[in-house]
Amino acid sequence: MINCYHCQLPVAYPGRYRASVAGQVCEFCCPGCQAVAETIAAAGLEQFYHYRDGPSLNPRELARPALAELAVYDRPDLTAQFTHSAGQGREATLRVQGITCAACAWLIERKLGQLPGVQQVQLNLANHRLHLRWQAPALGLGELIGQLQALGYGAEPWQPDTASDALAAENRSALRRLGVAGLLWFQAMMATMATWPEFNLDLSPALHQILRWAAFMLTTPIVFYSCGPLFRGAWRALRARHLSMDLSAALAIGLAYGAGIYTAISGQGELYFDTVGMFALFLLGSRYLERRARERTLVGSQGLARLLPATCLRCVPGAEAERVLLAELRPGDRVQVPGGGQVPADGVILAGQAQLDEALLTGESQAQARGPGEAVNAGTLNLGSALLIEVTATGSGTRMSAIMRLLEQAQAQKPALAQWADRAAQVFLGSSLLLAALFGAVWSWLDASQAFWVVLALLVATCPCALSLAIPTALTAATASLQRMGLLVLRGDVLENLNRIDTLVLDKTGTLSEGQPTLQQVLELGAVPAAKALDWAAALQAPVDHPLARAFGPSPVVAEAVHSEPGRGLEGVVAGQRLRLGDPAFVSQLAGTAAPKLPTNHGQWLLLGNGQGPLAWFAVHDRLRPQAPALVDYARARGWRVLILSGDRSPALAEVAAQLDVQAEGGLTPEQKLSALQRLRAEGRRVLVVGDGANDAPLLAAADVGIAMGAGTDLSKARADAVLLSNDLASLPRAFALAARGRRIVLQNLAWAALYNTLVLPFAAFDLITPAWAALGMSVSSLAVVLNALRLGRTPPATAQEVPTWPRSTC
Amino acid sequence: MAALYLLIPAAFLIVGVALYLFFWAVDSGQYDDLDSPAQRILFDDDDPAHHAGVEQAERRRDER
Repeated sequence: MINCYHCQLPVAYPGRYRASVAGQVCEFCCPGCQAVAETIAAAGLEQFYHYRDGPSLNPRELARPALAELAVYDRPDLTAQFTHSAGQGREATLRVQGITCAACAWLIERKLGQLPGVQQVQLNLANHRLHLRWQAPALGLGELIGQLQALGYGAEPWQPDTASDALAAENRSALRRLGVAGLLWFQAMMATMATWPEFNLDLSPALHQILRWAAFMLTTPIVFYSCGPLFRGAWRALRARHLSMDLSAALAIGLAYGAGIYTAISGQGELYFDTVGMFALFLLGSRYLERRARERTLVGSQGLARLLPATCLRCVPGAEAERVLLAELRPGDRVQVPGGGQVPADGVILAGQAQLDEALLTGESQAQARGPGEAVNAGTLNLGSALLIEVTATGSGTRMSAIMRLLEQAQAQKPALAQWADRAAQVFLGSSLLLAALFGAVWSWLDASQAFWVVLALLVATCPCALSLAIPTALTAATASLQRMGLLVLRGDVLENLNRIDTLVLDKTGTLSEGQPTLQQVLELGAVPAAKALDWAAALQAPVDHPLARAFGPSPVVAEAVHSEPGRGLEGVVAGQRLRLGDPAFVSQLAGTAAPKLPTNHGQWLLLGNGQGPLAWFAVHDRLRPQAPALVDYARARGWRVLILSGDRSPALAEVAAQLDVQAEGGLTPEQKLSALQRLRAEGRRVLVVGDGANDAPLLAAADVGIAMGAGTDLSKARADAVLLSNDLASLPRAFALAARGRRIVLQNLAWAALYNTLVLPFAAFDLITPAWAALGMSVSSLAVVLNALRLGRTPPATAQEVPTWPRSTC
Repeated sequence: MAALYLLIPAAFLIVGVALYLFFWAVDSGQYDDLDSPAQRILFDDDDPAHHAGVEQAERRRDER
């Protein structure tokens, strides 16, 4: 089997789509990939294929409006909205889809940079935003987006909204807080250490006092500026009457700072200012890293907008239909939806027969027939002929937005994310507070003047330094190795929660199955060979943008006068004869014969026939992912209950359930799915959900652990706890094993932190410890914790068949 | 030890300047994209293969 040079999908018709890349003739799977490779080669950027480290996305996976549609962006009012002038030129930011690796940035920057008048092209790999500056009046935004499409990427103008502005501002302020803590801590540390008798034997009392106040001045911004959010979080926890990690850290920092001030004034006792800075730096550093990791994973998943087309055709009475942006659409407008196009808004059909693919909303894989007067929902795909609809609701009024609201609710019901760390902190904090109080009482009875210092030494020595590192470092290391396995962890509590799962809920379409119909079998009925029949069938399907058409692939012959009979099939002229493809009864009508019997009851069969009679059967399946049975077996071996919840009503669901031998419920709306999940949770079960569609999104958000497929909708990915980027279900069992190891290492870390604290406790309690020893002990303890956590970064060697490689094509 | 009377204010001054520069860098967006520059450096524009490709493409364009 030859794979496409561009996208690595199998080439169905070798020799049909070829192009010369870097002096070699390469095979492509479709005209789309061929055109992209030709564009790249024509620009002399073939090195892209050397630089990239994974296959590119097939161009048809991306929303690629026709050039005529892109012209809408050159309308003066929209140009003004999406670009702004910079000096003599214009600037714009685009969101690019289809970025798979850093080489994509190289390709885009080089190719657009070649355009005359383009001054700056910069792609941010973290958020996939492309910043453009150009100085050419003739060059419009539509043309630039067209250029990106020619390279095999999708793009749309990006405008900052309040949420993304707020996120950017938060990121910057978090970095500023971290920087302040770091820079000032170094200085405060030096000033503090200079006062230690171990380092300095001849310090005059006056200088000692100056150094104390210098350290005080350097530490104050760390406490009030850098740790501001920490104290606010602690205050919130206190008001909600529970002990949290924030509280224990705030207490340690607050007390050490208070003690430092007392020492600065009185000149007695130990200076704890350096401890304050060190805590702050460790804590803020780990939180900043966590924030960055989380943000990177949310790229391009900003909900609704991406699921709908960017523009649509608005019909105005007495004039030609005009292309407008979705945002300009109002209820009451009339919109034309072409065959194969997405419905842009909720509405009522005025004219036309629709075959609607509602999989995005309901998970139902069979197209639904709708006629005039019936309602259609935004986000559904029109598989029939062109429709005229009257818009009843747009944007936030649509049913799709209702699903989004539903899942926001589901998310709000989810227990607090940092619960686990909080629980550990509660135990630690509770016991160290108790011990401090106990020893404080004992010491005030023995020697009242020393009591405060003993309590403070105790609190600082037992403070959550190692603890604050124990969990984040292990999580970070585990997250990194999970990512190498293809599982992107979005929330910190996934690793912990994975260890408690006892129920696995799976979606069918797109999760257990590949989500795309594939041609399984061609049965010839005598008159023509199977290969010829396939060519003809593919020719009939070619003009139709339908998931089924993709299964048939491209065809070397061209069909004329193709039209579709909604719900029944296609009719057209190929090689001078009238052909029909689809429902057996519909196809047999052409020849006036009785419909032949289906070869089997298994799967979906399409018949091809001409005026003389039937020619061939085609079996089309949404194929089960090959790794699905292994996942189900693994889950069963661990004693989990396995359940399929699907929106699909077709018999295919029962087949899949029988094949995997699991219980299945079909035809569920998103609301019913959610209530089914809530029932399971009410029984006390811990549920892992694996899903892909927008209709699974509420489920993913409400589950104990929700894992979205990488090929799934953005909506589902945005709400999941983890994303299976590789779409390889086989990596899930390995991820579960790693989660178990991660938990073990966290427990080891916590045990070590507890052991260290117990060892150091007597010294602190009996006033035997000096700050230098405390600092050393703390560093060693922290280092041990970090090194232990890093062991998680070493993934166990994968067995040969599991190695996720992609075949580098050789032409 | 008298040097400390000079060195402590100097340390304050330096840390002040450093903080000012750091805030300026953060606010002007220097830290907004921490991933792309690290990757960008890996692509060698002086790669002879890349140069050859571009030249060849230009020649083809000229011929047309």
